[in-house]
Amino acid sequence: MKKTRIGFFDFTGCEGCQLTVLNLEQDLLEILELVELVEFREVMSEQAGHLDIAFVEGSVCRQQDREQLKKIRQRTDILVALGACADNGGVNALGSDRGPELMCQQVYASHLPHLQTDPPQALSEVVPVDYRVPGCPIDGHEFLAVLQALLLKRQPDLPTFAVCVECKLAEYPCSFDHGEICLGPVTRAGCRAICIDGGDRCRGCRGLIENPRTSPYHRLLEEHGLTVDDILDQYRTFNIGEQKSES
Amino acid sequence: MPLEPIFPEQNQNSLWRPVQPAEILRFVHSLLQAYEVVGAQRKRGRIILDQLQDAADLLLEFPPAVHSPKKFLFPNWDQLFRFKLDNNILLEAETTTPPRIIFGMHPCDLHAVKILDDCLFEGETDSAYRAKREATLLVGVDCTPDEYCFCTSLGTDRIAHGFDLFLHRRDGHYLIQSGSERGKQLLYNHAPEVVADAAEAPLPLQIKQCSTRLKFPAETLPALMENAYDDPVWKRLGKDCLGCGSCTLLCPSCYCFNVQDKLEVNLKEGQRIRTWDSCQFDQFAKVSDGENFRSSQSDRQRHRFYRKYKYLWDQHQRTACVGCGRCSRECLSHIEPTEVLNQMFADNLQPERPSAPGIEYQPQMAEIIARKKLSPEDLLFRLRLPEKFTFTPGSFIQISVFGLGEAPFSIASAPDGGREIDLVIRKAGALTQALHRARKGDMIGIRGPFGSGYSIDKMLGQDLLLVAGGRGLIALRSLLLSLLARRRDFGRITLLCAARSIDSMLFREDLLDWHRSGEMDCRFAVNEEENEWGIPSGDISYLFKDLEINSQRTIAAVSGPPGMYRHINPLLFRMGLHDENIYLNLERHMKCGLGKCGKCRINNVCVCECGPIFPYSSIKHLAEAIER
Repeated sequence: MKKTRIGFFDFTGCEGCQLTVLNLEQDLLEILELVELVEFREVMSEQAGHLDIAFVEGSVCRQQDREQLKKIRQRTDILVALGACADNGGVNALGSDRGPELMCQQVYASHLPHLQTDPPQALSEVVPVDYRVPGCPIDGHEFLAVLQALLLKRQPDLPTFAVCVECKLAEYPCSFDHGEICLGPVTRAGCRAICIDGGDRCRGCRGLIENPRTSPYHRLLEEHGLTVDDILDQYRTFNIGEQKSES
Repeated sequence: MPLEPIFPEQNQNSLWRPVQPAEILRFVHSLLQAYEVVGAQRKRGRIILDQLQDAADLLLEFPPAVHSPKKFLFPNWDQLFRFKLDNNILLEAETTTPPRIIFGMHPCDLHAVKILDDCLFEGETDSAYRAKREATLLVGVDCTPDEYCFCTSLGTDRIAHGFDLFLHRRDGHYLIQSGSERGKQLLYNHAPEVVADAAEAPLPLQIKQCSTRLKFPAETLPALMENAYDDPVWKRLGKDCLGCGSCTLLCPSCYCFNVQDKLEVNLKEGQRIRTWDSCQFDQFAKVSDGENFRSSQSDRQRHRFYRKYKYLWDQHQRTACVGCGRCSRECLSHIEPTEVLNQMFADNLQPERPSAPGIEYQPQMAEIIARKKLSPEDLLFRLRLPEKFTFTPGSFIQISVFGLGEAPFSIASAPDGGREIDLVIRKAGALTQALHRARKGDMIGIRGPFGSGYSIDKMLGQDLLLVAGGRGLIALRSLLLSLLARRRDFGRITLLCAARSIDSMLFREDLLDWHRSGEMDCRFAVNEEENEWGIPSGDISYLFKDLEINSQRTIAAVSGPPGMYRHINPLLFRMGLHDENIYLNLERHMKCGLGKCGKCRINNVCVCECGPIFPYSSIKHLAEAIER
């Protein structure tokens, strides 16, 4: 049987998601028995023609990115957004509330026209995206599950419930109990509450669940002394695209 | 095959021994050589329930917040079987249950195990649960309730059986009680020095104190819930709830689960596993075509409360809540069962009724203010009642004449909040003959209204198909007048009406008015070849010919003699109507109207309480409802 041809691509991002894939080590070697890895800049230099599945990391910030992404779309059957940047703009989109010149000035404190970019976009703002692996970075096991589903011609499904679920199952103490603001109640699970485990709070990198209960959630944040602007700030790290579409 | 109870009732020769902390330590140390021991322990600054490595780590005094032993008896990830994809080969589950002891279970958690037993051993025994249950010994321990606990309201603060061993806390030491042969054996084998001690007298059951409590006896919960389905409290919970599911995941007795396949990386084999699910999640009651049977968070919270305090009580005569407070302790929106239930109780306080014996059977007097002949046998009465009167179309009322008794009659007018109602009385027995002799200004006895009628709210925006056979028109007239009072809120209305003859047809003037009004489509049939209206001759099924309806948005209300439903239902199914959108009028002899006398029961369903108007979906499993 012909092996499924897959490729990995990246735009603006830290490449941490591709690194997560490489970190799968033994599992990656096993899955490579089932697929043909034809393009992966992190580990190889070849360029392939037609692809069955393209995993694309990073957000899109320049005209040439947009054109390159459209070309990838043309030669792949399935396109999967890999990680938060590709999925919803990720942290890159943080700067989208100010102009590129101001941003460049604030970050580099000098006039550097060659570093100016357009506001970062999620892949889906440029081309149709078939599936997504959310997170910053992605969860390696979730990536495997999505790939498995695609290999079996099944619809990959992401958890529809919130991070709170995985946090409770793991018996972690609630961030709110020690006065931390946590996005767990509205953020899609699938990360096994890894940040809470690490002593941090949830910052919403996996995007909102489909039906976030925003009004009780905002009431909760207000109880903890947050204003509307503070609340928007909480979302802003990872969920600018989603907040835009909601308002 | 009947199941042997895992825990026989506490036998009289329970063993009671004092036991010192150092002896407990040695006991646990010895157990660890032979068993997997699970207990509360401190890990990374938190107290969690987990497998014990060192007897010294075991905590016997720990807060109620620690997760429940459900984690081990009914784990979140449980393999049901394994399979190979290549040739569709099914393999047995790999899991073998190790002999395990859960050391340190609070009384509420021991009660929760009884609830799990009720549910998972009922009917087809859940073998995965049973295997764990049989391989696990339960050691209870006293606890101190915190501000979220309300076990004292549910009687779950103490326990007499349902454990293998129980540690009662005394001053500086414990008193150990055996609750089963297995428990006793455990002591003999692993703590012989404790057994060798002099026996102590059994302790009476120790009752605890909780600051959080129900303000009414728990036994009234099912009755309270009976009337609380439409309580405004559910809307409030729907607005407050984050839908995170923590309440059910942490609940020691919630066991709803999901089943899914997990594949190995090589895609050659996999396992079918079950994981905990939650009725609070969006997708819990969702089906593949997108329909969600509990689409709002209010529906989901209501379902949770009904499961806890009503449905499982009806089945097993105990609440499925043990008052451990885990749900409220962890709820970021502060949803607390006691607050909700106390509020509901306050909302439902009935105004103080005169409590003279037999008052519920005593009629009030109503005046006949008009009477009119509808057919040779039928008279229409208009009554003025002593006070304002609300009911749903399709409800009935008891009419009584002293000396002759009492009988139920459908209300023929629409509820308008006033004091007047219409009744149709057919001359049949002594009571109705007496009523036919009554004149304007006479007083007769009434009691009611009773029963559950048509839900107008469910009909909003829908097309209505009303099918009336003979006297079935009486209840439908009440419905139809209600619909016409706010005609714009509904789609197409079609009335199919049949009777033996034109003469026997009730409400002939109304029928003609409705027909001429253009507000609805009326079709009539009678069993007379030649008739003065020139309408088709045939039974009611004749009127279904050439009937065009949109089955997706049509609600049918069928009312007629019992035999009619057998002919009409198949026609409605063929047109594609949904079971829940077909309302049948299943009047029986509703003698007392109070759900007590038993005369109107269809199988186990009491018509005077649950009906007489039923959606087909709710009675189709009842053999006596239509097929007799």
